[in-house]
Amino acid sequence: MSELERALSALARELDVPETPDLAPAVLAQLEPRSPRRVERARWIVALAIVVLAALAAALVIPDARAALFRLLSIGGERIELVDELPEVPAEDGLELALGERVTLEEARQRSTFALRELEAPPDRVYVAGQGTVWFLYGTPEAPRLLIAQSSLVPPVRELLLKKLATRETRVERVDVHGSPGIFLSGETHFVILLDRDGEIVEESARLARDVLIWERGGVGYRLEGDLELAEALGVADSLRKTGVR
Amino acid sequence: MYQDIAFRTAYLLTGSAADAEDAAQAGFVKAWRALPRFRPGSPFRPWLLRIVANEAHNRRRTVGRAYALQLRAGTTEPLGDAAPSPEGAVLAREQRESLVAAIRRLDERDRDVLTCRYLLELSEEETATVLDVRRGTVKSRTARALARLRTEVQL
Repeated sequence: MSELERALSALARELDVPETPDLAPAVLAQLEPRSPRRVERARWIVALAIVVLAALAAALVIPDARAALFRLLSIGGERIELVDELPEVPAEDGLELALGERVTLEEARQRSTFALRELEAPPDRVYVAGQGTVWFLYGTPEAPRLLIAQSSLVPPVRELLLKKLATRETRVERVDVHGSPGIFLSGETHFVILLDRDGEIVEESARLARDVLIWERGGVGYRLEGDLELAEALGVADSLRKTGVR
Repeated sequence: MYQDIAFRTAYLLTGSAADAEDAAQAGFVKAWRALPRFRPGSPFRPWLLRIVANEAHNRRRTVGRAYALQLRAGTTEPLGDAAPSPEGAVLAREQRESLVAAIRRLDERDRDVLTCRYLLELSEEETATVLDVRRGTVKSRTARALARLRTEVQL
């Protein structure tokens, strides 16, 4: 790189660029559907990365599903995208592969970069995924009763986003998980994709998730999956305690 | 997360905060409507920035405002490894100001490619997508723009 090129690169940090204005209200106002038929035709109803900006629109009251989803973004690095059709996925027997490397609970505690939260009853199986996500499986891969994922949001995981594709039959509720912001996805199944910050797919889960509670606490993203009512899921979330190992 | 880079891109291409805000807003709305045409698996950021850049170009042409890019107020570190000194900082500041002035004088196409490559720190490939040109064109325009700048600044 020549001296001129270095000077240009240095200049990038010294230019007087105004603070980014809040674009969300104006964008949202223009995104209101022009007619119901237009909405019906739209293949992708909710927003990919664009709507991350619209997380700022939390204060706006826009009474349609899309606006509701706008308000649900950026929870623990997760994004929700509503689609008309879910992609084809392998059968449930891919579960174990999707969760990552099987380890002991003690090994997971040692490998995790943050203090894991655990239930009083130890999980039946423990896995560590490629991106450092720790999974607790209660039951078996063939008949899972409960899945708990914990993922640190510090680098490199901070650079990743988990995209969930949901159908319109999936209910998406914003919930308070004992003082932390959360989302409860229930009803129809949805699909999980791991993206990097440029929106490229890093990893796809080989399974359809069931009812899912997602929340963030202390810089860690948590996900709880199973056939659970919201109250039950919140109860389980409250029972997760730090082990005090670190 | 994309709001900042979209606005910065629009601002550096138009040199006007008002135009940048309009361009970024319009870019997000158009990107939303174009989502069905977005190819899953391809990089999202340059795709979005291309739409924003188009909007920025449209505004620049229709509004015709002067390109008013300038340095932030404050001290400027000298280039290279030299230890900063008061006179060094003044010289560095002058050097940067002459560089900004030279960028302002470039024609639009040369300025755009330098903006993408150095001020937005996009790769050649991303720059090609954003400016809707071939990668080879990015290379040749970059070389030409740098050569023009060299004739105007002592670097």
